Amino acid sequence: MTPAEVRAAQQEGAAVLDLRTPHPFAAEHLEGALSVQFNRADLVDRVELVFPEDLPMIMHGEPEAIGKVAAKLLSDAGFNVLGHLEGGLKAWKEEGLPVVQLPTLDVDELKDRMGEFTVVDARDPFEFKYGHVPGSGILSWTEAWYEADKAEDDPPIAVICGDEIRSVLVASILVRKGKKAELVTGGMVDWVERDYPIEKGMG
Amino acid sequence: MIFKQFRYEPLNQASYLVGCPKAKEAFIIDPIEGLGADFYVLEAADLGLAITGVFETHVHADYVSCARELAEMNGCPHYLHENAPTTYPYTSFKDGDVFTVGQVDMTCLFTPGHTPEHTSYLITDKSRSDEPWAVLTGDCLFVGDVGRPDLLVGDQALDVMDEGERAQTQFTTIRDILFALPEHVEVYPNHYGGSLCGGVNMSGKNSSTIYYENKYNLAMQKADAAEFAEFVRDTAKPLPDDYEKIKSYNLGLLEKEELKGAGV
Ligand SMILES: [Fe+2]
Repeated sequence: MTPAEVRAAQQEGAAVLDLRTPHPFAAEHLEGALSVQFNRADLVDRVELVFPEDLPMIMHGEPEAIGKVAAKLLSDAGFNVLGHLEGGLKAWKEEGLPVVQLPTLDVDELKDRMGEFTVVDARDPFEFKYGHVPGSGILSWTEAWYEADKAEDDPPIAVICGDEIRSVLVASILVRKGKKAELVTGGMVDWVERDYPIEKGMG
Repeated sequence: MIFKQFRYEPLNQASYLVGCPKAKEAFIIDPIEGLGADFYVLEAADLGLAITGVFETHVHADYVSCARELAEMNGCPHYLHENAPTTYPYTSFKDGDVFTVGQVDMTCLFTPGHTPEHTSYLITDKSRSDEPWAVLTGDCLFVGDVGRPDLLVGDQALDVMDEGERAQTQFTTIRDILFALPEHVEVYPNHYGGSLCGGVNMSGKNSSTIYYENKYNLAMQKADAAEFAEFVRDTAKPLPDDYEKIKSYNLGLLEKEELKGAGV
């Protein structure tokens, strides 16, 4: 699909799945895009767990080969894939179409500015129960699409997971649903490595 | 560190991915057209890594490279040693330059002989130790054998050293640079087994160590460069088909269509 076709489909409600890794996504992505990191092994399973089957989807991979492969994998699995973005981010920007950033903060900033954020953990409940940032709540990645509307974003939400893959997905869903959200880079791996406090149980 | 060897069996060729799971980035070394640029893109993506650099140990004569295409697709540099006589632009480096991907350092070791720009890459995973762990030896040192010195294009401007000079240089390079590395360092070559880029003693095993090759690599047991050169000549395999053509393509002197399927 050309950038203009992608934009038109977005306005009809289609979701762009950005298949890149979390950092390039945070730095710059198509307005409204959702971050779903690609791999051939379990992309289909993850999309199945996160999104409704009838959601019209457009793939954005860099390089383009990734978008093509993802489109094939997901449409073979029965998803409503409209196509992939031709020419990638470069072509999109050349058309003057909007790109946005996802704000990020690292675990040190999170710890220092705790009161300024609603901390949300994007992992599965069993992981959250085992240990999470004190005072954080859970919005598990598999529930996020359906529950994001109810999220409280004053103060803005800081989303954390094990590393960054599920947190960036949940943050992108929150933003798409009109919420103020930021990504905690480094995730619980960095938090634990720094020996910052941990709370156990379901909070 | 994420380290992966890709084998292209039809040409007994090995290419590599060196990446960092934390930085989510990777370098690709010596990609081959037989597997294709998309292959590397998808392999890296499967590991959750974006390709941020494409490196070659040298300009190859026995297989078609897809380094230019892969670098362009990813919008990242294509790196070669500054001596590489290509007609297209690349990002050049010098002996000793260090490229970093996350916690991994890749140090350029200038190892001329097989070709005048040949470079080996020393890999250090700083998340484990400051000591180097592995070296990508390209077509300098193979498992059980060494790179052949006689794949010349027949053009004086490009064939900077003749066969004899290359053989002698190969010997001192391996002895003084590679065998000077700590002996635990693992050796990962660009070819194995039946590849025509080395001699009859090339092993089908895909890796070795500096210690083992120093002790048991037959060519390197020779007393001096002259004896080494003679041994290499005597144990050489036939020349690869169409190597002048393939080298010319990899140098940018031929278009892909003019290859007519050679070396893929
Ligand atoms: Fe070679």
